Amino acid sequence: MLKRSVVLVLILAACGGAAASGPDAPGDRPDLPVTTAAEFEALLADIDTPAVVNVWASWCLPCRSEAPLLNAAFEQYGDQIEFIGVNVTDNQTDAKAFLAEFGLEFDHYFDQNRQVPNFYGGIGIPITFFFAPNGELIKTHNGILDERTLALNVDELLKLGS
Amino acid sequence: MEFTLLWAAFTAVGFSWLGIRLWSDRLPDHPLDRIIGAAVGGLFVGRLVAMMLQGINPLTNPLDILIVRGGVHTGAAAIGAIVAYLWAAKWNLAHLDATAPAVVLGLAGWHGGCLWRGACLGTASNLPWTWAEPGSAVTRHPVELYAALGLMAAAWLVSRLPWRLLTRAGTALALVGLVRLLTEPMRPSLTGGPVGWYLAAVVVGGLVVWLGPKLDKRLATQST
Repeated sequence: MLKRSVVLVLILAACGGAAASGPDAPGDRPDLPVTTAAEFEALLADIDTPAVVNVWASWCLPCRSEAPLLNAAFEQYGDQIEFIGVNVTDNQTDAKAFLAEFGLEFDHYFDQNRQVPNFYGGIGIPITFFFAPNGELIKTHNGILDERTLALNVDELLKLGS
Repeated sequence: MEFTLLWAAFTAVGFSWLGIRLWSDRLPDHPLDRIIGAAVGGLFVGRLVAMMLQGINPLTNPLDILIVRGGVHTGAAAIGAIVAYLWAAKWNLAHLDATAPAVVLGLAGWHGGCLWRGACLGTASNLPWTWAEPGSAVTRHPVELYAALGLMAAAWLVSRLPWRLLTRAGTALALVGLVRLLTEPMRPSLTGGPVGWYLAAVVVGGLVVWLGPKLDKRLATQST
């Protein structure tokens, strides 16, 4: 029984650790650009495609679970929809380590004081905002995203853009 | 777990309870406890596998196991639930047949629980019974309700089958896979959905129906 438990623990450790040891070390990444609510609003206004804005922090457990989904959506729809991450109430080192761990390749901004989610009326963390082209807020999803919710809202944005 | 998911889980339990009341023949003692226990076991295994596939180490992030909405691996959850049930039933295969209709009705309840979660809608459609997300003009298939209706029909069908070893259980597995397979194209997904697992359920369910009576004969021969 003890042998079985040890083997199980080793398998779990091996499986779980695999994704954390990628070539993209946190130290190689530049710091995330700092943004304010006004700057972020201007950024969205300049984008002529729909946008998905995910608010996250490295210490947030649900953010870890939704990160792979956001990556999958970005890989599939990144040419039609702008994906942007906003890191809040965090520090640059931990934020970069999180991005390296999950290989999140879309643009991310640093917002220590939660100005961006507060401006758009988001509650808690994580939050995902869905924007029409030119920055009109269409929908706010407070809490963790599941695959269906993300896929359905992405589909809504695509129909909006077409 | 979020409260909307909890309500959907309660709906599933309620439908299972109804199934037990409707089809009470040959049930083991405490059937609802066994079904709920198996469901929890399946969820645990499914969530664990989903975490590992997402690159989240369950040892360093043990609390992530509670974030069910983060993803549950369908195939691992199904296998985990069946193994957990059999373990609780001391590997008595006939118990699977007795509880199969109630389990399928419980799954129908889980899908119908989309009404509490606001998560019934799928791909866009202009059919007259479709509706739109709040604030949207795009009407969509209520795909989870289609699945719920399909599973309710499947539960009834399974309850009408003869009492041959694993005939009801195998048919239930195949029909659940078939209902999910038929509704999957209407379900929004980033990954295409676990279609392979649904196909596997149909095939394995068919094999179980075919092998069950043979296994029954062999077990009878061994016991004499």
